[in-house]
Amino acid sequence: MKTLKSLLALGALLVAARFSAAAEVNLFGWSEYVPQEVLDGFTAETGIKVNFETYASNEELLSKLVAGAGAYDLIQPSDYAAEVMIRRGMLAPLDAAKLTNLKNIGSQYRALPHDPSGKFTVPYMTGTVGIVVNTEKVKDPIKGYKDVFQDKHKDRLVVLNDNREIVTWALYSLGLAINEITPASLAKARPVVAKWVKLVKVFDSDSPKTALLNGDVDIGVVWSGEAALLWNENKKFQYVLPAEGAHMFVDTLCIPATAKNKDAAHALINYILRPEVSKIISDKFPYTNPNLAARKLLTPAQLANPASYPTSSNARTFRDIGTAAADIDKLVTDLKSAQ
Amino acid sequence: MSAPTAAPFAPLTDRTRPGWRAWALLAPMVLWLIVFVVIPGIILLVYSLCERDEVGGVIFKFSFDNYQRVFDPVYLRIFGRSIGYAALTTVLCVVIGYPVAFYIGRAHEALRNRLLLLVMVPFWTSFLIRTYAWITILKQEGMLNSLVQTMNLGLEPFNLLYTPTAVIIGLVYAYLPFMILPIYGSAEKLDNSLIEAAYDLGAGPVRAFSSVIVPLTMPGIAAGTLLVFVPAIGMFAITDLMGGAKVPMIGNVIQNQFLQARDWPFGAALGVIFMLMFALTYVILQRRAPRPAA
Repeated sequence: MKTLKSLLALGALLVAARFSAAAEVNLFGWSEYVPQEVLDGFTAETGIKVNFETYASNEELLSKLVAGAGAYDLIQPSDYAAEVMIRRGMLAPLDAAKLTNLKNIGSQYRALPHDPSGKFTVPYMTGTVGIVVNTEKVKDPIKGYKDVFQDKHKDRLVVLNDNREIVTWALYSLGLAINEITPASLAKARPVVAKWVKLVKVFDSDSPKTALLNGDVDIGVVWSGEAALLWNENKKFQYVLPAEGAHMFVDTLCIPATAKNKDAAHALINYILRPEVSKIISDKFPYTNPNLAARKLLTPAQLANPASYPTSSNARTFRDIGTAAADIDKLVTDLKSAQ
Repeated sequence: MSAPTAAPFAPLTDRTRPGWRAWALLAPMVLWLIVFVVIPGIILLVYSLCERDEVGGVIFKFSFDNYQRVFDPVYLRIFGRSIGYAALTTVLCVVIGYPVAFYIGRAHEALRNRLLLLVMVPFWTSFLIRTYAWITILKQEGMLNSLVQTMNLGLEPFNLLYTPTAVIIGLVYAYLPFMILPIYGSAEKLDNSLIEAAYDLGAGPVRAFSSVIVPLTMPGIAAGTLLVFVPAIGMFAITDLMGGAKVPMIGNVIQNQFLQARDWPFGAALGVIFMLMFALTYVILQRRAPRPAA
């Protein structure tokens, strides 16, 4: 009898273990953006397994979700991509009661234009696109796009290989709206972009810091996280937010409407929002952390990094521009090809 | 193939009538081709006739608009440039690869196997890592320039990385083995007595090479050309990494339609045109290449 009981108990235990092991969450996130320690820590604490797949652009994420691929529980779109998904009803509203750590996020990062009600997205990390200057090689002051794209800097420039970014900088330098792309505004931007692409030596979105570190170029227009890593490497790499205006991005965490493990996804979001967990992300990827409680845990050196925590704030987020993305792509492809 | 009627007692071989065994042997290959070549090809064709929606989804509203856009001068120029780069790569691969392949093919067996192994060694490392190695060599403060500086030749440092020259170096490096191996295959089978016969009949070295050796190794050159030219047109990683993504190739344009512009139908139309070009190249090479004697 005793043996039977203990056998039953063992059986129950095994079944329980089976069930808890079956709990899982499917995360579809940016490559090089979510430290593995964070996911391991979550699994160790909750027993929920994290299946992690990555993408390299918002467009890749959008097309995969539109095509109906994969059963993802948690995704990481940037602001404008989240906006499209909200408009199309592709995101599930978040349950604020399950996100007790949401209070750690600074109010300036909540209820932004892409998600005015703040019901669908939680900021993960934010950043800007700005200018990084090798001050050992470039002595003139660089304040904005017009200082970067000068004839004397020909073949000394690296910029993001991202057509919308390049057109946005041109629009900023002309004082035009960056989120209302019209044939007229593109026609005005065209000669500016045409001149600029001729000056650039490298177009690279994945690791623009490499060309700067290698000494192949002296000035870059790059992601702030890349500039922060350069600054950590050598203080000669100064970060400047362009005077004409800059692009700020807010990468979010959200749950697709079709997610099967919404509870587990909420648990993972809430775990990431913990100050000590969010700090790990800042250590590895020095973007701007919207988690103010986590910022308190950072070292003075981390907070003094001008690329991670720039002082001025003339940066604005992208809004979705729909089919104008194709017009931009054609414009830049044409101009690059013409040189 | 007409069945032999005059020989009623001849055994029916697989060559004349493939039996179920032959089909069973072929089945995995046929299945593979259907699943990974035929079906994706059809999907590509269908998508290329559709339209995109605002988010980047595909709307099944049929038109030939995407094909009209392919023939926009912007994209035609890029097609032309891609073909030019691929052609230059192929020519350089033949010029560099032919002597190597010929030497390996005529070497003693023990040496030959070792040399062949050396040709294959680069494949033990990931292609991307090898490309990054080239970046380390060619960059401004890289190995090539420090070597030149050490030799003290009074030369200016080379500015090679992120130039078209770097792209060609990368392409030739990547595809050279695909030219060497098929030419080696032809050179190895080359009958020495035929070359001797050419000399006996009064041909000089140049004549023997051009009238005997080249025609006999032509199948290898043709196969190598196909293996180099076709993938070189579509290559986008090397132009991005070593060319600094400055000059778009058709591979980059197609990649952009899927990953940046959210325009799958247009990307699919470019892909279909691309496949037609491959088929055309193949047909031309098949027509030109003399059929090897059995």
